[in-house]
Amino acid sequence: MHISDGVLPVSVAVGGYAVSLGLTVWSARKTRNEDMPKLAVMTAAFFVASLIHVPFGPTSVHLIIPGLTGALLGPSAFLSIGLGLLLQSLLFQFGGLTALGVNALMMGVPAIACGWVFQTFKGQTPSRQALVGGVVGAVGTVLAAIILAGFLMTGGEDFLGVAKIALAAHVPVIIIEGAVSALTVGFLARVKPALLLHPSRQAHG
Amino acid sequence: MKTLRRGLMVGVVGFFLLIPPVGSWAQEKVEADPQAVITLLKEQNRKMSSDLRRIHREIAALRSDLGEPGIKDVAAGVGYIFGLFGVAAYVASRKKNSDSPESSS
Repeated sequence: MHISDGVLPVSVAVGGYAVSLGLTVWSARKTRNEDMPKLAVMTAAFFVASLIHVPFGPTSVHLIIPGLTGALLGPSAFLSIGLGLLLQSLLFQFGGLTALGVNALMMGVPAIACGWVFQTFKGQTPSRQALVGGVVGAVGTVLAAIILAGFLMTGGEDFLGVAKIALAAHVPVIIIEGAVSALTVGFLARVKPALLLHPSRQAHG
Repeated sequence: MKTLRRGLMVGVVGFFLLIPPVGSWAQEKVEADPQAVITLLKEQNRKMSSDLRRIHREIAALRSDLGEPGIKDVAAGVGYIFGLFGVAAYVASRKKNSDSPESSS
C-alpha cells in the first residue's frame, strides 16, 4: 500500500511532508517518557508487519496494522508509524522517499483516529475491549485504503475506481488485521490492562 | 618388383579417379533433402526460443527474489528503532535528572 516515487505531483508530496512534519511534532510532544519502551516495541512491530504477505491472485498484499498501533499508542502512533515508514523506505525500498510524507499521512491519520475511537468506546471488560480492538483494527485498514485512493486521485487516477480496487485487494488483509488486533487487545486486556489505558489516565511508574 | 610398382601406381591413380564419383554421392545426399534440413532448423530454432523465454522468466523471478527484504534488513531496522529510542530515553532521563534539585551527573 506504500506509494512509490514518481506517482504523485510534487505539490502533493511537499504538502504531505509539511503536514506530516507538523503531526510528527505534535505526536512527539504528546509522548511521555514512560511510554517510550511501548513506543519502541510498537514501532518495531509495525516495521516488521509489512513483511507478512497475504497472497492475492498473481500478486500479494501485506499487513499494515495502523489500527492496532493507534489503539495501543494513541497520539504517539503517528511518530511510531512515521519512523517505521522512514526505515522501511531506506532499508527495504518500500515506498519512495519523496512519498514518505504522504505515506505517513495515509497510515498515521487512520491510526490516530482509531486510537481515539478505541479509547472512547473500549469499556471495562476484556471481551468488549477485544471486540472494539478488532473493529478498530479492521477499520484502520479501510481508512488507509480510502486515503490511498484519495492521494492517487491527485496523480490523475479515477478516485472511485482506485478506491474499489484498493479495498477489494485488501479485504483479506482487513479480515486478518481485525482478527490479529482483537486477539492482541484481548490478550493485553487480560494480562496487562495498564498498557491499554489512555496515556493521560495512566498511572505514573 | 616391377609388378609391385605397377600395382602401386594403379592403386594411386585409381584412388584419385574415384574421388569425383564419391564426392558427388555425398553432395547428392545433402542436395536431396534441403526441405528436411530447413524444417529441422526451424524446429531447433523454435525450441531454443522457448528455452530462452523460459530462462528470461527465471531471471526476472530471481531478480525480484533478490530485492526482497532479508533477515539482515529486518535486523538493521529493529536495531535502528531500539537504538534511537534508547538514545531518546537516555536524553530524557538526563533532562529529568538535571531538572531535579540534584546536580547533573
